[in-house]
Amino acid sequence: MKLLEYQAKAVFDAYGIPTMKGIVLDNQEDVAAKIAAAGLNYPVVLKAQVQIGGRGKAGGIQFAEDGKQAQEIVDRLLFSDLKGFRVKELLCVEKCSLTTEWYLSILLDRGAKCPLIMFSPQGGMDIEEVAQNSPQSILKLPVDPLLGITADTVRYLCSKSGIGLAFEKKLGDVLTKLYTAFLEYSCLLLEINPLCVAEEGGLIALDGKVDIDDSALFRLPDVTAWRGAQQEDPLIKEARTFDFLYIPVGEEGDAAVMSNGSGMLMSCIDLMAKAGIATTAALDLGGGATAVRIREAVRIVLSNPRVKTLFICIFGGITRCDEVAEGVRMALSESRDEKQVVIRMEGTNKQKGLEIVEATRGALHVGGIVEGVRVLAEGRVQR
Amino acid sequence: MSILIDKDTRLIVQGITGREGTFHTEQMLSYGANVVSGVTPGKGGQTVLGVPVFNTVREAMEETGANASVVFVPAKFTKDSAMEAIEANLPVVITIAEHVPVHDMMICYHTARRKGVRLFGPNSFGIISPGKSKAGFMAHSIFTPGPVGMMSRSATNCYETVFMLTTRGIGQSTCIGVGGDMIPGSVFLDLLPDFQNDPETKAIVIIGEIGGNEEERAAAYIKEHVTKPVVVLIAGKNAPRGRSMGHAGAIVNADGTGSAENKEKALKEAGCHIADGTEHVVEILSTIL
Repeated sequence: MKLLEYQAKAVFDAYGIPTMKGIVLDNQEDVAAKIAAAGLNYPVVLKAQVQIGGRGKAGGIQFAEDGKQAQEIVDRLLFSDLKGFRVKELLCVEKCSLTTEWYLSILLDRGAKCPLIMFSPQGGMDIEEVAQNSPQSILKLPVDPLLGITADTVRYLCSKSGIGLAFEKKLGDVLTKLYTAFLEYSCLLLEINPLCVAEEGGLIALDGKVDIDDSALFRLPDVTAWRGAQQEDPLIKEARTFDFLYIPVGEEGDAAVMSNGSGMLMSCIDLMAKAGIATTAALDLGGGATAVRIREAVRIVLSNPRVKTLFICIFGGITRCDEVAEGVRMALSESRDEKQVVIRMEGTNKQKGLEIVEATRGALHVGGIVEGVRVLAEGRVQR
Repeated sequence: MSILIDKDTRLIVQGITGREGTFHTEQMLSYGANVVSGVTPGKGGQTVLGVPVFNTVREAMEETGANASVVFVPAKFTKDSAMEAIEANLPVVITIAEHVPVHDMMICYHTARRKGVRLFGPNSFGIISPGKSKAGFMAHSIFTPGPVGMMSRSATNCYETVFMLTTRGIGQSTCIGVGGDMIPGSVFLDLLPDFQNDPETKAIVIIGEIGGNEEERAAAYIKEHVTKPVVVLIAGKNAPRGRSMGHAGAIVNADGTGSAENKEKALKEAGCHIADGTEHVVEILSTIL
């Protein structure tokens, strides 16, 4: 789960990593009064809380010299669309007087299977260009997770990067706090960019990205509470309430795939693509394919107006085929659209399942994935 | 022969008194697996299906001579249970649960490496050496003994392939679920030497998928050290970038790292046979064997 900027700021604040003082605005009333009540000094920066690249260039970051200007910006920016995303919140912070912008992050390195610190004295908006053109100016330092950050870690970063040991204490302070947050929030990525050197010499986290492992959310109630603010496909959210994973696959095509495992889902999509069929959505059922769950899953996928055909592929030793078929029958009988379902299923009570499919309008049973893909390609589902 | 698990494996089931633990203990016993003890803290002294239960892994080892463990506890407790087995120096520890926090696995992974413990999973169906023993929850009826050694990040793609292999009379030496997570306890690279050295294994199947670089690392090893034929399926060629496909580890980064193309290219250069689907894996194997 990727946090919005103001949520990332709350994480930094909680660990004592310095940020600019600010407030979140989610309506247009009395902007100047709210800014005054929060004790913010002008000029302030108003930042649209949307997760898009090039937010500044798209007009999502604006400066106000006084309350009147702030009100005008909020009236214009809040609830507008930026690159197709609705701006539902603005983060309003004091403008920082800075001298330099650094980059500091910790990510979970899959290859080495440990945290990796990345640091560059050339941070800011163009970090991706820096990474492309002069990768050597971004230091990468793996951390042994059984040892954590040691004194030499910070000394190395300061010395090697050229910022000098004068920053050892300040950078060490931020890095130690960042690493603690990285562990306690089970992060895949925790990034400060830019990490500003303010005019008075202090370090300030001006913007940040936080990506948290979804599997750890059970022990992070404060993060789970933020989930509602995330901008997601409503079908993803609806599917999640049933413990399904709904995956928007592509803008092209009118086919969808459903399976009881991620691997088979991907295999089906690949074979369909090879046969010229583009998949627009996929749904991973996970375990426990009861009729009621199958019905909900089919309903959710078919509620996507793009989807005309659904390929269901279920293979599990203990899956009951009659439950699968009954779920499909219920969903199709409740659907008003003329949509089609191709089912491949293997498991117990297969004969009973086949009889239900046979009697279900709009549904067709196939003997395997390859046969299913052939049927889809030939478009001969309708009976 | 077979690898990791066989008739002599003396297995602990951690979480044996839970619903899943009890159900799959029964399944494992019925398959002939030598489940010698179970562990559930607070339930020591009980028996489940005739199997004695202990409070700790260490006691279970001391009393029953166990040398492997399969961890059937929910994701949120998997780290504690796996660490207990690792700290007790059990040679083989298999974790099953899906949605284990990746930070938990990071600690288990590094601790296991340092102690020389072979850790598997999470998000894995376990390990089966058909006709000998199984440690996990796979539907064993589709497996049959034979020459194919298999390791898979996906349970469903593995089952599908095994089902078709068995139907065609091609059996399996050992099948390992390495799991679909970002940090698996063991990766393809760790298992290739075992299969290469196992006289029963005549061909190796790798079922990989998008995300990470374990297929590429395997390719580099295969090129230098593996003389047996290797058949590979990489799932997820048409998955969108930047989106996890269900397995936490199955994700192509926005910059394209972890893509199926990279993996297939590396494995092809290493001399592997590249299949485009599970049925194709079976076709290739039937011409090789």
